[in-house]
This record gives sequence, structure tokens and C-alpha cells, in this order.
Amino acid sequence: MKELTVLNSSCRIELDAFEGPLDLLLYLLRRDEIDIYDIPVAHVADQFLKYIRRARELDLNVASEYLLMAATLTKMKSKALLPTSRFDGEENIDPGAELRCQLILYRTFREIAEELQRSEEVWTEIFTSPGERERWSTDSFEIEPGQASLLDLLEALNSLSEKEPELPSQKIQRTLLTISECINALEKKIIFGKTISFRDIIGPEPARSRIVSYFITILELIRRGWISCHQAYPFSEIELQRTERWSVDS
Amino acid sequence: MILDRLAREVEALIFASDGSLSIQELCEYTGSGEDSIHQALDRINKVFLDQQHALTVIEVAGGFRIATDREFGDVVSQLFEGRKPGKLSRAALETMAVIAYSQPCTRAAIESIRGVNCDSAIRTLLERDMIKISGRMETPGRPLLYSTTLVFLEYFGLADLDHLPRFDEIEELLGMSSSEMEERDLFGTGEK
Repeated sequence: MKELTVLNSSCRIELDAFEGPLDLLLYLLRRDEIDIYDIPVAHVADQFLKYIRRARELDLNVASEYLLMAATLTKMKSKALLPTSRFDGEENIDPGAELRCQLILYRTFREIAEELQRSEEVWTEIFTSPGERERWSTDSFEIEPGQASLLDLLEALNSLSEKEPELPSQKIQRTLLTISECINALEKKIIFGKTISFRDIIGPEPARSRIVSYFITILELIRRGWISCHQAYPFSEIELQRTERWSVDS
Repeated sequence: MILDRLAREVEALIFASDGSLSIQELCEYTGSGEDSIHQALDRINKVFLDQQHALTVIEVAGGFRIATDREFGDVVSQLFEGRKPGKLSRAALETMAVIAYSQPCTRAAIESIRGVNCDSAIRTLLERDMIKISGRMETPGRPLLYSTTLVFLEYFGLADLDHLPRFDEIEELLGMSSSEMEERDLFGTGEK
């Protein structure tokens, strides 16, 4: 049980922490104190697969490089377990040799990368003349022929296309519906002695401007006392009736 | 110690130049030989040291420059705040290392050593001018070749490519086939 929790937590050093499958393999070798020249293939393959499986359980994206390495290790493991056949013509090739060389090469470059990092550490604190001033000058400078690379061109192109594209402008024609026009229209619709609902006035699927114009007109007519209105409860139908004053005033 | 004429000339040239000056250029401008120039540089640095200046003359990226002491990194950094780019990621450093030793090299060569996709690392290094596209390999697909730049040497404070750490050893390693690598057992004493 204890071993399991240790495994769990160690796997939580997630794959993101590794620079690829070789890095993970080197980590496993060092953790289990394995000599790079004497890799127990079965053991290492198991450990590697455990990692990958755990990473997948944690729903991490496992890059294809890891899966390829897992497949390679599995193949090596199965080869190591099988008795070597004299007839398959591959008996002279140590399945671990290629991996070993790859690991050695990668480990060397990882060490170099660490050395470069130490230099970086030192040299970011050292400033030279000529050097810094010229390189990080905020003034724009002239580019001499031959100084700009293809990459610069691409970058310039990118920065252009990243700029907000101008939206095609569209003119919205405002349909004007004046209150007096509405009153004229209503003159024929609201007939004395009959009830008409607001919904009937604006008609089916009216434009918002039409609703607003007619509503304001209704308010105006109420103010003038030309119509009376009735609403049973909020949001229910508004019913309108003509009063006698409409004819008198107009 | 009082500086002689030549040392002062060298000092003035390095200070005033808008690019780093190579030993040949210093010889040409002062009309002196390489040995005299080197001795003059030593004398300048001795004076800087004796009088506790914050400066030293160093050779970086094939040329001489006046450099501030590391001690004043924090103070001087303020001048370039917001302009100086951040440090490189591990992926970028590893990719940088591979390119530095095996240049000119293709993306595939880098990826076969690192065992992982290097797209974004290469892009970062290109953007920061640490590497450049130096041509194409005449193989199917004509892949791009990458090489280091002067900015790379400056960034890591290297005089030239021969001054890369463990240069000879890694040159040899890269030239070896896998079976040779096995036989040489070069790394038998390496990390366990």
C-alpha cells in the first residue's frame, strides 16, 4: 500500500516536467541506480509504461514521442524475454544498443545545456560595450540590405495580418415613423364603439421601431384623452377604445 | 601603473567602436602586432583591476569589448528593463546545445537526439536571433539547415565556437557510429 502511494506521488511529477521520453528514461535510470551500460530492459520498460499509464489516468496529454518510446521498450522487452533464434538474422544486434547510444548522446547534450544555462546565468549579469546599447536600443534603426531574413519578413507579414481587420461598414437605413403618421394610421383602425388590442395595431412580427413608435403614439393619444385603455394585469393585452374627444378635437 | 600610448589607443578604440573589434582590426588601427595588442589588453585589465574599476576588457564573439563586472548586474539591468528578453527554457537550451555542436543541422537531426519535437524551441531561437537558417540540405525534401549566430556567442559569453564546453569530446562523439560508441566506452565513468 505504501509503495502504491509512493508510486502515485512520484508519477505526479507529471510528464510536463520532462523534456521528452529520453529525459524520463534517464530519470528512471538514475532513480533506480541503473548503469546506462547495463539496462535491465524488462524492468525499465515496466517503469516507463507505469508512468505513461498513470499520466493517462490523470488525463494528461501524452505526447506521441512517449507512446513511440513505450512501444519501442515493449518490443525490446519481448525480444529480451524470447529465446534468441539463430535463424532470424538479428541475433547479433543487441536491441538495447541503439537506445543506449541515444541515451548517452542525449545525456551529453543535456549536460551541455546545463552548462549553457550556467553561462547564461553569468552573462545576463554582464553588460558589454559595444553590445547591449546597440542591441536593445528603443530607437528604430535602418535595416541594411542583407540584414533582414526571411523570418523577419514572415514576422512582419504576421503582425500585419494580426491587426484588427476593418469591419465592412454597413449603412443602416432608419425607417422613420412619426407620431403624426401613426395617428393618421390609427384614425382608421380605432373605430368608435369598437375595442382593438395593441397587438392588432402593430400587426404580426413588427419591427422594434414600429412597436416603439406606436406605443409612444398610444401614450400621446391617452394624454390627449382621445382614447381610453385597459389592461387586465401586467403584460396582458392592452385594449384600446376611441373616446368622443378624438372627433371633437381633430 | 601608468598606461602606455598603445594601451590607451586600444582602450579608446574599443570604447568608441560601434561593433566589437577583432584582434586584426586592433592591429590595423594601431599599427602594432598581435602580441603587443594582447600585452596592451593585459595592461588595461591590470589597471582596471588595481584601481577597482567596474570594467574589464573581454573577448566575446570574435571581438573585444569592455564589460561590466557581474557584481553590478542588478544595477545595470535597470537600464534595459523591459527590453532585455527573458532566460531560455530547458527545451530551448537543449536545442541550442545540439545545434551548436552539430551545425549546420536539420530539425530531424535535432529531434533524433532530443527524442522530442523541437518546433517551438527552434522558433524561439530563431526569433531571438540565436540561430539562423543557413541553407538547405540536398536530400529529399531539402530540409532547412540551422546554424548559430554571433548573438549566440554573445549571449553565452563565448569567444568563438571552439570555446564551446567539451568541444573536442562531443565532436568525436557525434562522429561516431553507435557501435564505435559502445566500444569506446567513453562514458563508463559517467553518471550512474
